[in-house]
Amino acid sequence: MSRQRSMEAILASELVTIGELVRITNTRYSTLKYYTEEGMLPFEQAEENLTRRYKRVKTVERIHYIKELKTRGLSIPQIKETLGINKAEK
Amino acid sequence: MTDLNLAQRFSIIGLNAQSSLYMTNVKKVSVRCMAAAVILDAYLDNAFEKTGNRLTLHSDVLNQADIMPYQEMILKVFFNKQAEANGDLKWWLKKASSLSKKKLKSFELTITDSLKEMGMLEEIPSLLGSDLYYVSAGVAVKDYRSNIEEYSRISESVRAEILEEGSVTDDVICMIWLLRESGCMHDFFSQNELAKVNTRMNDLFHNTLLAQELFPIHIRHGVEIGIKQYLQMKSRFAKTTVGTSINFFFPMLERSKAVFIETEAWFSNSSQRLNDVVQRLESYGHEVNVLEKGTIPTIKIDNLVYEAVPHVVHKQIPIQGVRLVPRLPV
Repeated sequence: MSRQRSMEAILASELVTIGELVRITNTRYSTLKYYTEEGMLPFEQAEENLTRRYKRVKTVERIHYIKELKTRGLSIPQIKETLGINKAEK
Repeated sequence: MTDLNLAQRFSIIGLNAQSSLYMTNVKKVSVRCMAAAVILDAYLDNAFEKTGNRLTLHSDVLNQADIMPYQEMILKVFFNKQAEANGDLKWWLKKASSLSKKKLKSFELTITDSLKEMGMLEEIPSLLGSDLYYVSAGVAVKDYRSNIEEYSRISESVRAEILEEGSVTDDVICMIWLLRESGCMHDFFSQNELAKVNTRMNDLFHNTLLAQELFPIHIRHGVEIGIKQYLQMKSRFAKTTVGTSINFFFPMLERSKAVFIETEAWFSNSSQRLNDVVQRLESYGHEVNVLEKGTIPTIKIDNLVYEAVPHVVHKQIPIQGVRLVPRLPV
């Protein structure tokens, strides 16, 4: 049986799933999914249809940075530009 | 960020916005599933001895130091002076969820007390309790409100896991089953998402042992679920443009969507009337902010926005006041 990881275990691990990112950042799933699809949150995936894994420290930092930029009034295209993401990277 | 067990997580979801003082039919559906969640917690923690599909639990479990009072309350039901109880998973879940109304109430109080202590749940006055008919009848109405952050963390992480490709944990398999049995699926997933959830549940059923055991089990009571769905449908209708107009003149259809607040006196101007309504609502314990003044002012009461439409109720004497109609999305 595979149990949900405890918060302590998540905060100690290098890679996390999108569900765990939701738990540690309290951000809506649809928001994180959108950021991922826009290439704003890089992930690793062993094979198609397998769980996407995100580097915890970098991704959490990036989510907080995106939130901060949004509070400053930047739109998603502007945030992507700030993060240095262009269409080719998607 | 606290680690909560399955029963606590489901209670935060299932009790939010439910009446705290009365055992309504809708709440009964949730509390039955909360009781089943206690069994699932024990199952996931490997508290049962498994022989084939028979699960055995020894009464020693009640003496464990870390057992919570609400867990003890549910597990005690199975040991009637016996040292052990055994049956298949369906038997355990059915028995836990078929408690009498009195025992369900007592279980609800025990688990809500522990959640309140943790700051995960609170009781707030319901707007319906401020309605003229409720006030004059001396009927108090209070609702549960879950910790908003935790509520969102739990619901969004379940959504993430089930809608995303990849593996699904046993906790989420149980949570999805509990949501299905409590008739809450439509509250968390859109119509399109439900189709995806259905496909995922089907995949899980074919590929995981827990889903194979759990998904065919039904603990819901047909009548209770039927009443819940009827009330949800009525409430949804009252939120539509046509429904709001009909409900305004026939508030008995959905009284919570057309609460009548009487005013102290016959006021000739709208500003005095508004001040009186605000004072009255505040005296009932609500947080009120006036967003827009005018003949039909817009006010925010406990995070929900209403239009206060002047209205007169004709009884033996006419009673002046305002009817609070939820503002429709633009």
